[in-house]
Amino acid sequence: MDCRAVQRHAVQRHASDSGRSTDAMIDHGLLVQMLIGALLGISVYLPLMAGQLSLATPAFYAVGGTLAALLSTRWAALGASADGRFPLPSFLLEVLLGGVLAGLLALLVGRLVLRLQGIYLAIATIALVEIVRVAILNLPLAGGAIGIFAIPQPFANAAGYLLPALALLALAAWSCQRLESMPLGRAMAAIRADELAARCMGIDTTATKLSAFVLSAVLAGSTGALAAHFLNTWNARQGSFDVSITTLAFVILGGSRSWLGPVMGGLLLTALPELLRPVGDVRLVLFGLVILLGPVLFPQGLITPALLERIGGFGRQEAQG
Amino acid sequence: MNGTSAGPTVPPGQPTALLEVKDLSCRFGGLLALDRVSFALQPGEIFGVMGPNGAGKTTLFNLITGVTPASGGAVCWRDEPITSLPPDRRNRLGMARTFQNLRLFEGLSVLENLLVALQRQPRSSTLAGLLNSPVHRRAEAQRFERAWQLLEELRLDGLAERQAGGLAYGDRRRLEIARALATRPTLLLLDEPAAGLNPTEKEGLAELIEALRSRHRLTLLVIEHHVPLLMRLCNRMAVLDFGVRIALGTPEQVRRDPKVIEAYLGGAA
Repeated sequence: MDCRAVQRHAVQRHASDSGRSTDAMIDHGLLVQMLIGALLGISVYLPLMAGQLSLATPAFYAVGGTLAALLSTRWAALGASADGRFPLPSFLLEVLLGGVLAGLLALLVGRLVLRLQGIYLAIATIALVEIVRVAILNLPLAGGAIGIFAIPQPFANAAGYLLPALALLALAAWSCQRLESMPLGRAMAAIRADELAARCMGIDTTATKLSAFVLSAVLAGSTGALAAHFLNTWNARQGSFDVSITTLAFVILGGSRSWLGPVMGGLLLTALPELLRPVGDVRLVLFGLVILLGPVLFPQGLITPALLERIGGFGRQEAQG
Repeated sequence: MNGTSAGPTVPPGQPTALLEVKDLSCRFGGLLALDRVSFALQPGEIFGVMGPNGAGKTTLFNLITGVTPASGGAVCWRDEPITSLPPDRRNRLGMARTFQNLRLFEGLSVLENLLVALQRQPRSSTLAGLLNSPVHRRAEAQRFERAWQLLEELRLDGLAERQAGGLAYGDRRRLEIARALATRPTLLLLDEPAAGLNPTEKEGLAELIEALRSRHRLTLLVIEHHVPLLMRLCNRMAVLDFGVRIALGTPEQVRRDPKVIEAYLGGAA
């Protein structure tokens, strides 16, 4: 788990920041990481809303992250200073650009891969992750296997990233919630339920699936741009097949019937390895057990339709007529 | 029988056919499921398709709606060839269908099933939807109003919030019809609407179809095994046997056609 090693490095770096602050109990770096996990969970969930199992999220995450790392370290006009500080507007611009670039890539690739269904789509998207990883590895400016270091910081410490990460998560969750009560989201749900019937009801299934795929990519790309600054260092391993599986686990453990599922899964499964740190090396075994037992004990995920019903249809609601 | 483009009972000089099927064939490997079938639907008529099991009735529906590609021949909509259009484009032209084996969006509520089909009535942009703009809210209000009208019309209003997959069989059949109607079709294709219904429901079905036809100004193409229902309902009908159209005409003509009697009762070939 290469990406984890790098993330751990970053967490430790940020942990030393928060260690200096008064409330050493709260690890801000871990909180930001959990939010990034939740964001990537939603990114996997979006195509699933239309019944499409895409594992391409890490590819778009890598595209957004690499773009941000390159721009902030190479393009002086963005205003990175010698002491590693970075203007906030430039950071926000990168988050936007990361999403746009990933979205454009998804638009191009989606037309091709979304012809495939089920497990074949999953395989094709894994291939996309690999292609993007190798492409970034060989990108002249991206530093090869070592990657890009000393990405300038828009915030003084890890806590600064909490607000933009939360804002991005709120935006993503709100969009998912809106989708439920608008034609695009309903078309996605219809395709998930019965694609042939959906087509016979006049739904342009190709365009609908492509929309879901692009939304997923935009979110992953923006998250990548945010993560590149947060982690301070970026390389091709950030978007590897590992991350495909980890992010899929977020959705499987959390549940795939509402955006609350992947958010819950992303938060929990990102926090768990760090929270289990005191028990030593056994923690990875415990982590594996959770991933194994999750689907056995909660086959529909933690956030089930029945649970949503009980908490008032939140996250899976339909406007009343 | 190699049919001409229009059925024999259609007097010349009528307005152009709504739907015309010309020498339509479908081959699955070595099996010729449909062999040069031709007929034309006039606006407003109820046209029946009958035939023994495996005669190619559902295949014919799949070819007309674009679910299965044709191996030969053409489908024309108001004289325009549509043989290469996908099912969603054909639906938007004005044809909607039900399925023999019921294909509801089972995980969605009854109301949501209709809202899916109403997504273009009226159209509203994704951006307007995300921002929940007044334009979007007006469009939604219209969709809900239309959905409730259809639910009431098909006596499903009491079940609006129920999951479609959990409904009784008769209710599911009516929901499929309501969902098809929600796309505002001019041609409604019903694939065995009476299958699985009890005798009382079957009685009601003929009246329901007749009522829907006049209220929604529909042309209907109905596949049915229940011959009395077809005889009572249809203006004209075609009979398929082993993929070949063996008869075409009014129910009275078809009933007396020796080929039809032979296909159903069997005879010395």
